[in-house]
Amino acid sequence: MRDVTQLGFGLGLRPQHYPAILDGDRTTAARVDWFEIISENYMVAGGRPLANLMAVRARYPMVMHGVSLSIGSTDPLDRAYLDDLKALAARVEPAIVSDHLCWTGVAGLNMHDLLPLPLTEEALGHVCGRIGQVQDHLGREIAIENASTYVTFAESTIPEWEFMAEMARRSGCRLLLDVNNVYVSAFNHGFAAETYIESIPPELVAYVHLAGHEDNRTYIIDTHDHPVVDGVWDLYAHAVRRFGPVATMIERDDKIPLFAELAEELARARRIAEAAAGPDQEVA
Amino acid sequence: MPLAEMERLFQDGLLGSSREILSHVNGNAREDAGAMFGVYRNAYWARLVESLAVDLPGLKALAGDAAFDHLARAYVARHPSTTRSIRWAGRLLPQFLAREAPYRDDPWLNDMAHFDWALAHAFDAADAPVIGVAQLAAIPPELWGGVTLVLHPTLDCFAVSTPVDVVRPLLLANPRAAFDRDRRRDGGLMVWRIGDDLKFRAIDPLEQDALAAARAGASFGEICETIAARVEAEAAAMRAAGFLRGWLEWGIVQDIGHDAPGSA
Repeated sequence: MRDVTQLGFGLGLRPQHYPAILDGDRTTAARVDWFEIISENYMVAGGRPLANLMAVRARYPMVMHGVSLSIGSTDPLDRAYLDDLKALAARVEPAIVSDHLCWTGVAGLNMHDLLPLPLTEEALGHVCGRIGQVQDHLGREIAIENASTYVTFAESTIPEWEFMAEMARRSGCRLLLDVNNVYVSAFNHGFAAETYIESIPPELVAYVHLAGHEDNRTYIIDTHDHPVVDGVWDLYAHAVRRFGPVATMIERDDKIPLFAELAEELARARRIAEAAAGPDQEVA
Repeated sequence: MPLAEMERLFQDGLLGSSREILSHVNGNAREDAGAMFGVYRNAYWARLVESLAVDLPGLKALAGDAAFDHLARAYVARHPSTTRSIRWAGRLLPQFLAREAPYRDDPWLNDMAHFDWALAHAFDAADAPVIGVAQLAAIPPELWGGVTLVLHPTLDCFAVSTPVDVVRPLLLANPRAAFDRDRRRDGGLMVWRIGDDLKFRAIDPLEQDALAAARAGASFGEICETIAARVEAEAAAMRAAGFLRGWLEWGIVQDIGHDAPGSA
């Protein structure tokens, strides 16, 4: 299996696109190198979701991306969830399994959101310990993504980019760098997005996310329901210049356009990456 | 403040039981902490209401947008999600409606919630083979009394008092479609999946009781006894046999258990 960084250019697998992927125009389908799945959508007992998943998997490499690991929660890790995640990984054989730097609930509840952590030494130690437990349980390396955030904590003492890099160094996980999320959080909290990118060691990055967002003028919400904006494309070019050729995918979770339209947006990512990488570097 | 305490305060803020978290978080140069924390708080409620609308489209069409929003928020307030996937967050909603005023008094809402949820369950419940009439015919008749059924894992069956199965497709096509709200039909609805196809079928009260008994593990003989309490004794076995044949033909029986010939 290829290293995740070499996968090329992918899309999030969405049920609306099954017909186009499996039965549609092969030229369009060939413009996508791999798919990322939302792990929880396929942690079901049977039926059409799993059948479609495996039909797509037979043709494309995959990455599993979850939203419920809750790596930052102070509740105990959900062992049943980890068992099911491991079982799905055995079935899908993904290039990597990823989730977010966040927590989703405490006291047994699930807020079904990617909630922010105070960026402190305590949180860093807590998260690193749990990543170690998850990697041991799954028997594989995982990648952790920077989430978009809307508040910061007065108690925070570590810039997010330093927290991410140190988390990866200490725990042995890799980073899923969401360039849109860097852009969103930079706007919301008033830091320079380029500083974030430049502080992430290239060797820690497993792959990159791109997505659209909702600009409310005084703050931005990470909605994944719009095309990628020019500012994020510019930041992506900056990231490719720093990280070199790295696997990249576009997430779209709402107002999902035709498959061909997303494939065209992905082609733009490929062109930007080729231009940013320069003539001497081959883009995966 | 310890991380665990901070997370508890944050969650309490989302649920609306405390505003203390606002003294620990920052907004930005344009919006204060309350406004920015509101992004999370609004998203929490909106995401769950939207998920319930996706999983219970018949209920939303029946109730109307505003009433559904009110109902869904009341449910979320009473039953904060404990499921790892939001897909299952509505699993207690039928019971919530059955218990809470004013919803408990509306049989249409209750039947629709059951029906929606049964369809959602059947959609991605476990795959399993089914057996047909031939497998039953291979069992000696003298052993039929001890036969038990392993019903298909996609199957749900529940009592209804309205023809909700007739009205649901009308409302999904047009949420303003007119129908007779005074109409009643006692019995049950069975919902299951064959391959990728979702199936449902209205059944009369007698069959509803028989299928409920089968789901509870009753033997064919015990199912006959259940029926015999409601119909003439000599007709009970015939009715039960008819039900069993139908269940086999519709594809809701995964397997049959019975004692081996000669066993005690």
